[in-house]
Amino acid sequence: MRFRRPVIAVTAVAMLALAACGGSGEPADDNGRAEGVDADKLAATGTGMDAEREGPVKIDGATEGGTVTVLSYAGLNSMDPTEAYYQSTLSILSGLVTRSLTQFAYDEESGEMVLVPDLATDLGTPNEDYTEWEFTIRDGVKWENGEEVTAEDVRYGILRSFDRASFLEGANYSNAYFLDGDEYKGPYKSGKDYAGVEVDGDTLTLKMDRPFPDMPYWGSFPAMGPIPEGQDEPEEYRLHPLSTGPYMFSDYNPEKSLTLVRNPHWDPNTDPARTQYPEQYVFDFQTDSTKIDQILLKDQGEAQTTMTYDNVLAANFRTFQDEHADRLVLGGSPLTTYWAPDYRKVTDKRVRQALAWAYPYRDAALAAGYVEGVTRIWGTNLMPPGMPGRTEYNPLPGHEPGSTDTAKARELLEEADAVGYEIKWLFQNDDPNTVKATDIVVKSLEEAGFEASPVATTIANFSSDREDPDNDDINVRSGGWLSDWPSGGSWCPPVFQSTDLEEEGLGSNYAVFSEPEVDQRIEEISMLPIEEQPAAWNELDEFVATEYFPLFVLGYGGVAMAHGSKIEGFEVDTAAGMPTWKGIWVEQ
Amino acid sequence: MSTTADLERLGEGLSAGDTAGTVVGKSPTRIAIQRLRSDRVAVVSASAVLLLVVLALLAPVITSVMDIHATTTDPGAPLPSEVLSYDGFPSVGPPYYPFTWEHPLGLAPQTGVDNLARLLYGLRTSLAVATAATVLSTVIGVSVGLVAGFARGWLDRVISFCIDLFLSFPFILGALALAPIVVSRFSTDLEALARAQVLALVLVLVVFGWMGLARLIRGQVLSLREREFVEAAHVLGLPTRHILFKELLPNLVAPIVVAVSLSLPAYVAAEAGLSYLGIGLTGVPSLGQTINDAVQSFEKYPLYLWAPVVTVMVLVLALNLLGDAIRDAFDPRTRR
Repeated sequence: MRFRRPVIAVTAVAMLALAACGGSGEPADDNGRAEGVDADKLAATGTGMDAEREGPVKIDGATEGGTVTVLSYAGLNSMDPTEAYYQSTLSILSGLVTRSLTQFAYDEESGEMVLVPDLATDLGTPNEDYTEWEFTIRDGVKWENGEEVTAEDVRYGILRSFDRASFLEGANYSNAYFLDGDEYKGPYKSGKDYAGVEVDGDTLTLKMDRPFPDMPYWGSFPAMGPIPEGQDEPEEYRLHPLSTGPYMFSDYNPEKSLTLVRNPHWDPNTDPARTQYPEQYVFDFQTDSTKIDQILLKDQGEAQTTMTYDNVLAANFRTFQDEHADRLVLGGSPLTTYWAPDYRKVTDKRVRQALAWAYPYRDAALAAGYVEGVTRIWGTNLMPPGMPGRTEYNPLPGHEPGSTDTAKARELLEEADAVGYEIKWLFQNDDPNTVKATDIVVKSLEEAGFEASPVATTIANFSSDREDPDNDDINVRSGGWLSDWPSGGSWCPPVFQSTDLEEEGLGSNYAVFSEPEVDQRIEEISMLPIEEQPAAWNELDEFVATEYFPLFVLGYGGVAMAHGSKIEGFEVDTAAGMPTWKGIWVEQ
Repeated sequence: MSTTADLERLGEGLSAGDTAGTVVGKSPTRIAIQRLRSDRVAVVSASAVLLLVVLALLAPVITSVMDIHATTTDPGAPLPSEVLSYDGFPSVGPPYYPFTWEHPLGLAPQTGVDNLARLLYGLRTSLAVATAATVLSTVIGVSVGLVAGFARGWLDRVISFCIDLFLSFPFILGALALAPIVVSRFSTDLEALARAQVLALVLVLVVFGWMGLARLIRGQVLSLREREFVEAAHVLGLPTRHILFKELLPNLVAPIVVAVSLSLPAYVAAEAGLSYLGIGLTGVPSLGQTINDAVQSFEKYPLYLWAPVVTVMVLVLALNLLGDAIRDAFDPRTRR
């Protein structure tokens, strides 16, 4: 899934500052890192599944009522369920507003997320080779207008998820796996006549082109939920998606505010994970990060029922940890940030390796406002710790993750006869943190014998400049990827599989990596029996890194969020690096 | 007992038909300077400005003597990880560790550069930008004002219209619009970008800063051009250039000096303001940028914010007081 959207307003904020770790602790030594960090579980999104779970959910001691104020420095992207593919939109919609086939529930004991049924009565029944899935839709689920949610509504919602043209931001799993997914273009263009999704009474049958064992995970996306046909004009629906969950839209000013009020037609008996304790949620966007932190630190009046899903600023992290540890929520998120040299341009593997030796991991992270060991954790694998089947490997022999050795880099460059090799990458000139980090990177690369040419762009243009495959100004892209669910199938294909540059652009393959051997292996692995896949994905991860070294990991991330003293039940949803909306209540 | 000097003075006095005292011919400028010298506020603020200018000029010397660095790209500058703790706060000096003479104003969080060095170089930038903008806008303002005031008819109307047009255009909006254009134009060459940003900033300040003076000068010229000495010059058939620059301009020195002395602090403040908003300078140290940075950590690290704020305040206040004093000194109507 995608990061929370980039900043548009002029805020001095660690833009992609996503923190990692579980539990709190005291800062260790002066130059050290925060202690008590559980770096092994960053992406432990939870492989747990509980197909039996039933509603209603009762939280011991929780009280009804109250208003939860949610502050963030950025607005939300499209809130159309079909299009929601950012951390924030995805988690707010599925946590509070829209229901889909399955959903995640927070497990207090393990701190992990468990996949449980939602609209479907269980987690689906596959056929033998996972090419056909059957879901039975629950009775008694109603829209916010009181009408019954039918299997036909769900079918229509799923059909909508094929439309890549109307829903640019959406995920393309339906197209990738479903029957004729590459040809069917959704109900607006291709009509409702599609054989891949069939309804028989309450039963929904989904047919695949190729095995899709991860279907229950894809089923947890808002895109895999009901949409009321005839009331779903994309331009308008994104401003008021019809609710099936405990809260519904009452007032939405995009980029400014969103008010969610209780949905009277939501029946807790039908929902195995959500609750409806607070009276309402008021989201206030475009609030300066410094201000958010100050409000939460002071914890006066309304601030006591206020929370944020932004990370606290590095400058305030220590204060939060020392004085308000109970209101600082630390946790993992399945995020890896990396530098990807363009595979077509930086063709010498030794140059790419030299770059990995020369990159000033610690210094750049500090300058960009990450908290070492909390907002940035060093690593080597593309797949972050906690992914099933992951075993640590090191593609750079002798390289300590997070360390920099410019002498070693120079050696490699000399060996490749590439001293003075020009490295060109984009940076956002209007984001002070990025500017600071860029200065540091330039210095380190030049020390190693590269010619460093950062290319200035703006926050607003960054994504489009980076995603242009023909951008000749750059030969390295910085990227980040969050997995959608704990499976290598959510890492290797999007990051390593070659894409049709003319038709679909880079996708998330920022290295423009393309090796037929790897493409073929990806196809093979996705055909393997489900229990063999985790190990196979990890092997592929290691194979690509050691054989081709197309990218190097800058670090993993997690989150460091904060809330007021009267907010209860705020934990980290490690599947998205967001709050566990489903269990939040206000102390009365 | 009388000396020769007394006698001479007596003679002068007699010849002038006045026995009460000496009358020496003095130009208005000399009178003004004399008045300034006896004005204590003017003297104090002038020395404050002078001190800051000297500090700014000596920035490279001071930093190299103290071995402190204003940017992370400086050769010899410490790496952030060498001087910072895990959360970006310095591991030497304030806010968590005692004062050290090596870094009297502490280190900047996140980057670990020295705050004093940044302050000195920022001061340099501020003063350079403000001076350049003042000189340029004065030259433009004076020439436009002279021409508009002296030319009668359509040219005056056209110029006056232009002045009104520029006055009505929102300044911040112009700056906001220009910043991304400059970035995208010079995106590949960072040194050129840094230069372009300085030029663009000066340009923005000048484009939106010359109108006040132009109007003032035009008004003055309108009243002066009907005076006898200008009429006389006309009658003598002197070329317009001569009338403008030899007859009119010398009479405008006072308003020009006043305008300059008051626009300088305005530009210093504007530069800091624009850089604070992120639409000014990014490539070179600037006070506004430092202030913007420091707001984040004010709670824990107030010194980081206070140093640049106090510097800008002192500079702007001193320049303003000096400007006021100059205006008073030049204004014949000021009571003393």
